[in-house]
Amino acid sequence: MNISLNWLSTHLDLSDKSIDGISDLFTFAGVEVEGITSRGIASEKIVVARIIEAIQHPNADRLKVTQVDCGESELRQIVCGAQNYKVGDKVPCALPGAVLPGGFTIGETVMRKVESKGMLCAAEEIGLPKGEDGLLILPEDSPIGAPVKTLFDSDVLLELEVTPNRPDLLSHSGMARELATLLKTPLISRPPFKPDTIPSDTIRIESPDSCPYYTATFIADIEVRESPAWLKERLTSIGLRSINNIVDVTNYVLHEIGQPLHAFDAAKVTGALVVRQAKEGEAFKALDGSIHILTSDDLLISDESGAALALAGIMGGLDSGVTESTTSILLESAYFTPANIRRTARRTALSSDSSYRFERGVDPVAVVQAAALAIHLIIDGKCSEPGIQSAGVLPEPPLPVFLDLEKLHRLLGNSISTPAAEDILTRLGLEKLPAGSWRIPTFRADLQRHIDLVEEITRIHGLANVPSRLQATFAPTSEIDAAYDADMILRRRLAALGLYECQTIKLIADSQLADILPLRLLQDGDLIRVKSPLSEDHSIMRPSIVPGLVSSAGRNVRQQINSIRLFEMGRVFRNAGGGKALDQESDALAILVTGNTNSSSWAAKDRTADLYDLKGILSALLPNQTVTLKPKERENVALSAEIKAGDQTIGVFARMLPKRERDLDFPNPVFLAELDLGKLRKLISSPTQTADLPQFPGSSRDAAMEIPADTNNCRIEEALGNASEPLLVSYECFDLFIDPSGRKIAADRKSIAYRFNYRAQDRTLKTAEIDEAHERILELLGKIPGLTFR
Amino acid sequence: MNEHVSTIQTLALELIAAASDERTLDEARVSVLGKKGTLSLAGAAIKDVPGDQKAAFGQALNTARAAITSALEEKQNALLEIADRAALSGIDLTLPARPVPIGALHPLTLIRDEAVQILRRMGFALADGPEIEDEFHCFDALNTPADHPARNEKDTFYFNSGKLLRTHTSSVQVRMMETATLPIRIIAPGSAYRRDEIDATHLSVFNQLEGLYVDTDVTLPDLKGTLEYFFHEMFGTTTEVRFRPHFFPFTEPSFEIDVKLQVKGQAPRWIEVAGCGIVDPAVFEAINATRKDRVLDHGKVTGFAFGMGLDRLAMIRWAIKDIRLLIENDIRFLSQFA
Repeated sequence: MNISLNWLSTHLDLSDKSIDGISDLFTFAGVEVEGITSRGIASEKIVVARIIEAIQHPNADRLKVTQVDCGESELRQIVCGAQNYKVGDKVPCALPGAVLPGGFTIGETVMRKVESKGMLCAAEEIGLPKGEDGLLILPEDSPIGAPVKTLFDSDVLLELEVTPNRPDLLSHSGMARELATLLKTPLISRPPFKPDTIPSDTIRIESPDSCPYYTATFIADIEVRESPAWLKERLTSIGLRSINNIVDVTNYVLHEIGQPLHAFDAAKVTGALVVRQAKEGEAFKALDGSIHILTSDDLLISDESGAALALAGIMGGLDSGVTESTTSILLESAYFTPANIRRTARRTALSSDSSYRFERGVDPVAVVQAAALAIHLIIDGKCSEPGIQSAGVLPEPPLPVFLDLEKLHRLLGNSISTPAAEDILTRLGLEKLPAGSWRIPTFRADLQRHIDLVEEITRIHGLANVPSRLQATFAPTSEIDAAYDADMILRRRLAALGLYECQTIKLIADSQLADILPLRLLQDGDLIRVKSPLSEDHSIMRPSIVPGLVSSAGRNVRQQINSIRLFEMGRVFRNAGGGKALDQESDALAILVTGNTNSSSWAAKDRTADLYDLKGILSALLPNQTVTLKPKERENVALSAEIKAGDQTIGVFARMLPKRERDLDFPNPVFLAELDLGKLRKLISSPTQTADLPQFPGSSRDAAMEIPADTNNCRIEEALGNASEPLLVSYECFDLFIDPSGRKIAADRKSIAYRFNYRAQDRTLKTAEIDEAHERILELLGKIPGLTFR
Repeated sequence: MNEHVSTIQTLALELIAAASDERTLDEARVSVLGKKGTLSLAGAAIKDVPGDQKAAFGQALNTARAAITSALEEKQNALLEIADRAALSGIDLTLPARPVPIGALHPLTLIRDEAVQILRRMGFALADGPEIEDEFHCFDALNTPADHPARNEKDTFYFNSGKLLRTHTSSVQVRMMETATLPIRIIAPGSAYRRDEIDATHLSVFNQLEGLYVDTDVTLPDLKGTLEYFFHEMFGTTTEVRFRPHFFPFTEPSFEIDVKLQVKGQAPRWIEVAGCGIVDPAVFEAINATRKDRVLDHGKVTGFAFGMGLDRLAMIRWAIKDIRLLIENDIRFLSQFA
């Protein structure tokens, strides 16, 4: 909302107030100052100068060396590049020391070896609206040496953000009223308008709920022409375009009083004005040319012919407005019910300065005052003022509100006295009634409850004047707390393992569905799509975090980063029953590994990450669990497996299909995992009890085995898992050898070596005991089909 | 005989002195003290020595053995010392380190954790709720009228089911108040969604942190004290904090909070960091209706609520110029938080 300081000053004396001070007052009253723009010239050192001479610059084709008269004892030499002036013209000259808009200070300089003692200026260079190219040519009668600012009006434009509960501030008089309250200064008194209205038969309100009160004034013998200069100046000062003397007056009154008006061309109205609901499907052509199909919920101003003249309170019709040929008008000033205007404005996506005010609620008392002011300005003393025709009744004034002083003082920590609180309400235009109630002014319909009065008192009193209390109650740890802590532990572990945490958008594209790795396979209809996505890229609630990581990894690949290890934690979404059941949200962890295992170095050979790197990360993430991969086919991915912690399935593991890797320009294999965070949280807890350290030494035996190349290592681990050998405490796979050439071992075989560690709790084992135990293990392993010992 | 021992000793000491490495030293030891070594052989001759000289000969042998052993030990140590010196010389400490993979937490995680830690010190417990919400929890219960501008498909993501993506984490307040007993003292960090085009200052999915304190005597001084403490902890105890009156449907009175940001080389400026206010009685009333009790009787119970944008706090904290950096996951950006 734009407010002109000059316009505001017609309502109260601001001559000794700084703009920063006014800005602060608004800020702390809850009106946010979004911008302050000065119009006009600020510096005194920009003066009127006459160009006495202009000769070609000796060293620059496009420059001239001028001698100008600034009313000083000597002429001033200034180098200038403009072409639009002639010798003898008067132009603005910025003297050394002048500060131009943007903070640029003029000095004495040498331009291509010629002295220049100032700058001749174009309009926009001194803060005026951009004019013709080149210097601003001033009127011939401008006094030489006078500050140019004296020739032009200056003003300050305040861009203020008014919160939706304060429609009373959406005008200059409303803003002035607020500022007067804050400054404790009186408003400049004006002759009171006491307009009369005449109940009329020519206005018919068929929808009193949506329009309780309507006035129209017939003004004959008008001439549509250019507005007077003062009116144009007012409108341009707040960024509005002047149209004609009639439309400009309605706009002026709207921004002066806050009451929207509308002028119909009386010649285009047949018979009485009818305020009625639209017919279902009725078409309306707005003055901006747009056509709207209405519903019976929309309110129209029409005439007896049934023609729709205006969408009530929102926009006039294209065919009923004031044009250059208009000779008489019907001037509307009405009260429309806010909710109705809001609904229609939203449904038709039409909004205007009028609808903005009606949908927030206008001051009922201002309806007639605004009409009277507009009539006064349109007539301009040329004839007697016509009567205001009215129909309906104004809404009831707001009900008195009870202020509970005890609650007020408790909430404010006894930081304000009762008289001071009451003074604030009085200054705001409220009136104290007996028994603790307050009469509410008609322009403050937002004040309906005790707490609304408390808000007003607090707002003006200021939270700066309220003490701070540092006091807390105890809150028990919640389940969410426990989950949060577990997530932080997992995050820190992953970061310590060399992974970067990512954050991606939870809305994904159809094209990204190729990369999803959900814990459970999706059924048709399980995807949750938003109804009106901003773009196709963000249309589906992610059922899996992996697609986001894939796209982040792709971005890093394009930046030539060759070692990529990423993870993300967060919500995933799916419908549990093909779109027919509830939407489910759960928490997941996704990991992506691709490219070199470390940055290039003299000390370590480059190695491309393989699946065992990701498997290693998973194992290190859950050091107290046995993490295994159990191969399980999935479409659209390679090497897919269930991730197991002991017997529990905790996630899905896969490599991206090589073709997909190529399509997405990944130069290296991409390994992926998505895990159920709910399960992980339960698996990271510390042991409940520590184990005693062994008291006796153990001993180990190695076994080198050959198995068919297509037999998985898990066959050995399964066999060992089933072994009930009490002396075997641990084992590790320490060597793997294959030879595709078949020279050292057969190409369809692989050599695999394990070390077995034996120990007893209660004694040092004898060699024979160890040998016997080892023999039992080998016998068990020997049952694996195709296994031979080397 | 004794001269013979003395000669052996002299030769042995010479050999030891001449040894240049472990191997030659060991050869020297074997040639003197080994089974067939000169001193061992000489020792074996003791049986031929006349009885009265046996003692003297034995002593001569012992003296020689002690001298040789000690020389061997000395030489051994000297050689080790040379070897140690050689092992440590010529090493270039200035070569780059052997790479160890480094990772980092996301800045949003860092800022969220910092906020959570501060608020936990003040006795707030965590709460959470669904991101796919219904209109009651996102709007109706929060005193947001059915025709409020936020409630349209231009600003809010809706689903065919009639549900929507929560536009703020304030919906968690409602979910907590529906079930909890007093006092309620919770914070809820989480994602919220608005139908904003993504640009340098907007994300359609962003992160908020919500707080709520409801009890029998919660006042404006509590609100002020809590949030001043929070931002002092967050931005430094000397940071100025101000409360500007504002409007939210679900709190009254409502405020926006600014902190005065001091960046080296720049004029200090006020930056908006949060919104807050006293819970509007209408919110309690809406929830009482679903609770079917009067636990949240606004005649007896008051509360304050606050909400802040975590993305924004992160941007302020680390002078991040473009919010998209927070979702692009460029490792060159993320590694700055390692």
